[in-house]
This record gives sequence, structure tokens and C-alpha cells, in this order.
Amino acid sequence: MSYKMPMGPYHPGLEEPYKLEMTCEGETISDAQLHIGFNFRGIENLAEGRNHVQVIALMERVCGICSFIHTLTLCQAMETLTGLTPPPRARYIRVIMAELERLHSHVLWAGIAAKLMGFKTMFMACFQYREQVMDMLEAISGNRVNYSMNRPGGVNRDIPDPEAILRMVNALEGEIARVLVPVFTSSVTARSRCAGIGVLTQEKAASCGVVGPNARASGIAQDLRRAAPYAAYEEMEFEVPVESAGDVRARLMVRALEMLQSCGILRQALTKLPAGEYHCNESKIVFKTGTAMSRVEAPRGEVFYSVTWKENSRTPSRVHVRTPTYVNMPAVRWMVQGARIADAPLIQASIDPCYSCTDR
Amino acid sequence: MNPVEIIAEQLKLNGCTTDASGASWFATENIGVREMATTLRSAGARFITITATELPTGQGFRLEYIWDLDGKLIGFAFLVTDNQVPSIYDITEAADWIEREVHEEYAIDFTGRAYEPLLLREDNRPGVYLHEVGK
Repeated sequence: MSYKMPMGPYHPGLEEPYKLEMTCEGETISDAQLHIGFNFRGIENLAEGRNHVQVIALMERVCGICSFIHTLTLCQAMETLTGLTPPPRARYIRVIMAELERLHSHVLWAGIAAKLMGFKTMFMACFQYREQVMDMLEAISGNRVNYSMNRPGGVNRDIPDPEAILRMVNALEGEIARVLVPVFTSSVTARSRCAGIGVLTQEKAASCGVVGPNARASGIAQDLRRAAPYAAYEEMEFEVPVESAGDVRARLMVRALEMLQSCGILRQALTKLPAGEYHCNESKIVFKTGTAMSRVEAPRGEVFYSVTWKENSRTPSRVHVRTPTYVNMPAVRWMVQGARIADAPLIQASIDPCYSCTDR
Repeated sequence: MNPVEIIAEQLKLNGCTTDASGASWFATENIGVREMATTLRSAGARFITITATELPTGQGFRLEYIWDLDGKLIGFAFLVTDNQVPSIYDITEAADWIEREVHEEYAIDFTGRAYEPLLLREDNRPGVYLHEVGK
């Protein structure tokens, strides 16, 4: 006999509101329905009443973790509409901030995943690494979240001492390589808790349009930093980790390896940081009539913006945002089918969901 | 032929235009939404989103269907004047939440599918982004 079991919208394992309504037979989940929208904010609608400075501050608040990525994607679209081209130093600073944000997000996720695995020592270690990344972000931008770094045509703050940041990156990379990556890639605890559960096949991932590390853990190799480069990624050398198993362990492996790749990209960008201006010296920003699209590889996958502006208008006519969790989360339904109830929190956490992005 | 040219040939469309973002846009006078979706899914394209825009009073809506094919953005813009457009959810699952969202924000019906509330609650009326609702 089947019965229904709700997880959420308010649940000790989920700090943000979201509901997974599972249909179970005994201890096994046979199907699930997802419910979101508990914090729907209507940000796209709010954007239509904001000028270009205000809309950057607004979109920065779509997500508290990848706030830099959202303003980067928005500003790239604005640059298409204004004809502004960021100088080389700005493009490199954007890469540095984006990779620090990826590290921050992946380390935070690793900590939460460790906690859900019952690996609380690792949770503590991950949050210590996270603090180191936050220190770097604060050293560059003055803020731990909502960095206010992007503007159309460049960035608001320079990195005057890249050597200091490089030393911090090297120290962090050593810790990640020594502790975090081996634990997640080869420990018996991680393997026994994660291998073979929450499987998302490549076919299903493609049908659901899953993006980012979740897609790469199911054998879909796309990474926009490589497939459609932006900022200065064309000048960076890096690997795109891909796994084929599609289970929680594969998602763990992809993110663990991506952390090391991020450190490598940071090292290149900080070493080769070009001299010169870090933003255009425009006295007034003038928008052309039209729609511009932009997308960026956020820590959780592709962020897409479509921005429409009319000439001489102070405010955009339309700002549309498609966040990565918005396409990743529906796939949880297929991941939990056939899984044990006890694995459901870890499976849903394995997609690294962002409820703030989803309820934008 | 590059992937975009292959799509144009399969849909029997005379080429496309490229916008400032680098996206390829196809004219949609002679194709339907479902034909577009079927062709693109067969070609291995990934559905990204639908950008809905409310046009000035009485002119309906513009729905832009955006796809990724091998890292290239492909767009199809359809004008909707009667608040109805066929659903493509059965062709690509990725459209499920996007169609439900557009329905709730602009009260557009995607025909041939069932709805459950997504961002709104059950007693909320669809169309929360419509301009006349906001005034």
C-alpha cells in the first residue's frame, strides 16, 4: 500500500522553503512532486521600475551565493545594448571574482553534503575553507556577499595587490587538495553513502535541460566557460570534469574536481592580470532599443538573462532571468524514484539547489 | 553545414538573422511551436527558456523560445494574440516549469497540458505581471 510523505516546506534539513511530496511504498519512494514559490518575489516585474543602477542592485539579490554571477550576466547584456566594452583588466577581474564565487559555492555545498552524510567533521572543515574564500572576496570587494563589483563596461573595484590574493589561493588549494578532494573522491563513507543513489541518466538529464555540474555528472560535457566563453575565459586553460554515473557520488566528484580547476584558473588570472583601466570612463550610459541575451556558467550551471530596453528610457522594458536551479530542480523527481526515504535529503541536496534563485 | 544551417534546412526556413548577442533568430511565419520543438530536440538542442513580453494594449504577447545547440543560442519569436499557444512540455520536459511560470505571470494558456500552481498559490489569479493588473 502506498502512502504520501511530505518533506518541507519547512524542514530541519532544508533551510529554505521547498516541498517534496513523496509517494512511498514501504521505505521506497515510487514518485514525487515538487512544490516551490513559497518566497516568490516577482523580481523580474520589480526590475521594470528601476533604472540601470538600481536594477543591478536588485538583480544582485536574486541569489545570495552567486550574486556576482547575476550582475555579471546582467551587465554583459547591458554592454551589448550600450556598446560598452570592458577593458582587459576588468575581464580578468570578472574571471577572478567568478571563480572565487564558484569556490565559495562548491565548498559551502560540500559542507552541507557532508553534514547530510553524517560526516560532521568534514562539515566543519568545509566551513573553515569557506571562510578563507570569503576573506578573499572581502579583501577584493569589501563585502562578504552582494559584492557590488559589476557595472556596464567593467568593474567597480580594482585588485591592487594580486600577489596577496594569489598567496591565499595557493594556501587554500593546498588544503582542498590535501583534505577535501581525497575525502570526497575516495573515502569509504562518501562512497557508501553516495554511490548508486539518486541516479539521473544522461537521456533524462538532456530531456530535463539540466545544466552545470549536475549535467556534467550525467555525462553532458557542456560548460559555458568553454562552449561560449565570456569575460577572459578564452585565455584560460582548464579542464571540464565530466562523470557518467549520474549518481550523487558523480555530482560530488565533479564539484570536488572543479574546485581544483577553479584554483588553477585563479592562479592564471592573478598572474596574468593585465595593467590598465578596470572600467570604461563613460560620462553617461545610453541604451539602444533592442533585446540582448547573455549567459554565464554559474556554480550551479547556466544563468540566462534577456534584457529589453527602449532608447531614452530610464528603465528596462523587460528583464527575464532563467536560473540554473530552475531547470535542475524538476529532475529531483526522477532522482528520488526508487530511492530510500532516508536518502531523499541527500539526493535533493546533491543538485546544490538554490531556492532563492528559484523563487526570484 | 553548421548546426544552425541544418536546423534551417530541416524547418525549410530561409536562413536566419544574428543579433548583437550572437544569437541566431529564425522567422516563424511558416512554422508552429511544436514543429520547432520537435526539430530542435531531434537535433539535440537544449531548451533554455521562454521569454514572454506583453505588447502594447490589444497586440498580445511575444514569446521567445530560446535554445542552445552546441553552445550557440537559437531563438524563435512567436506572436500570441489570443492568449493561447500549444504546449511543448510533452516534447521537452525542460519546458514544464517555464510554461507554468509564463501562465502564472501573463495568463497565457499552453494548450494540451494540465496545470498545477508553481510560483503562485492555488487561490491566486494568473497574470501577476500583466501591466493592467499592476496599475
